[in-house]
Amino acid sequence: MSSNSGQTLVVLRHSPYGSGLSRSGIDAALAAGAFEQSVNVLFLGAGVLQLIPEQDASTIGSKNIGKNIASLPLYDIETFWVDAQATAKFGIDPQVLPPQARLLDRDALRTLMCNHQHLLSF
Amino acid sequence: MILHTLNALPDTPAFNDCLSLLSSQDSLLLLGDGVYGALPEPLTVLERSGVAICALKSDVAAAGLTDVLPAHIRQIDYDEFVVLTEKYPRQQAWY
Repeated sequence: MSSNSGQTLVVLRHSPYGSGLSRSGIDAALAAGAFEQSVNVLFLGAGVLQLIPEQDASTIGSKNIGKNIASLPLYDIETFWVDAQATAKFGIDPQVLPPQARLLDRDALRTLMCNHQHLLSF
Repeated sequence: MILHTLNALPDTPAFNDCLSLLSSQDSLLLLGDGVYGALPEPLTVLERSGVAICALKSDVAAAGLTDVLPAHIRQIDYDEFVVLTEKYPRQQAWY
């Protein structure tokens, strides 16, 4: 799993619109990618809520986070690591996740984190 | 080996996500609201992971818990916090 290791893992663990953290986290990943840093993203816990499709944040005067997430592959972030336990807990059907999503159980999540030199938590 | 810094009350998502990823090779530093994790009930749950637990002295004092926490939970100052970050190659902040 070569894409399972790298320099920096951006850990996204907050819901999309409850705070500015999710947007900041995706921005950090995009910025790192733009400077050709080796960066991966992990949607952990409530962070998996960012991946629910067909969000319409215009109703609350916000921009959809989905567009930012969809632009990650343009910056060579080809895999979205996703907390399988959290998707089950929130009742998210894995079929509706973006095609880049790869589900990991808790043991695999730990390994993923330990395979990165830096963890950035949002 | 991960240094986990936990700044969240027991039973919050951050606390529970942290708990589920702790391993015996890790260290856990309780700070901010995280110091309440050293109260008896949550501490029992955290200690089950086998992780080494310490707490930030100033935050423990602010919470009025200096004499309440069990003696084996080391209360560290900021200099010792820095030493801890040097010892562990990576840090995960839970908040």
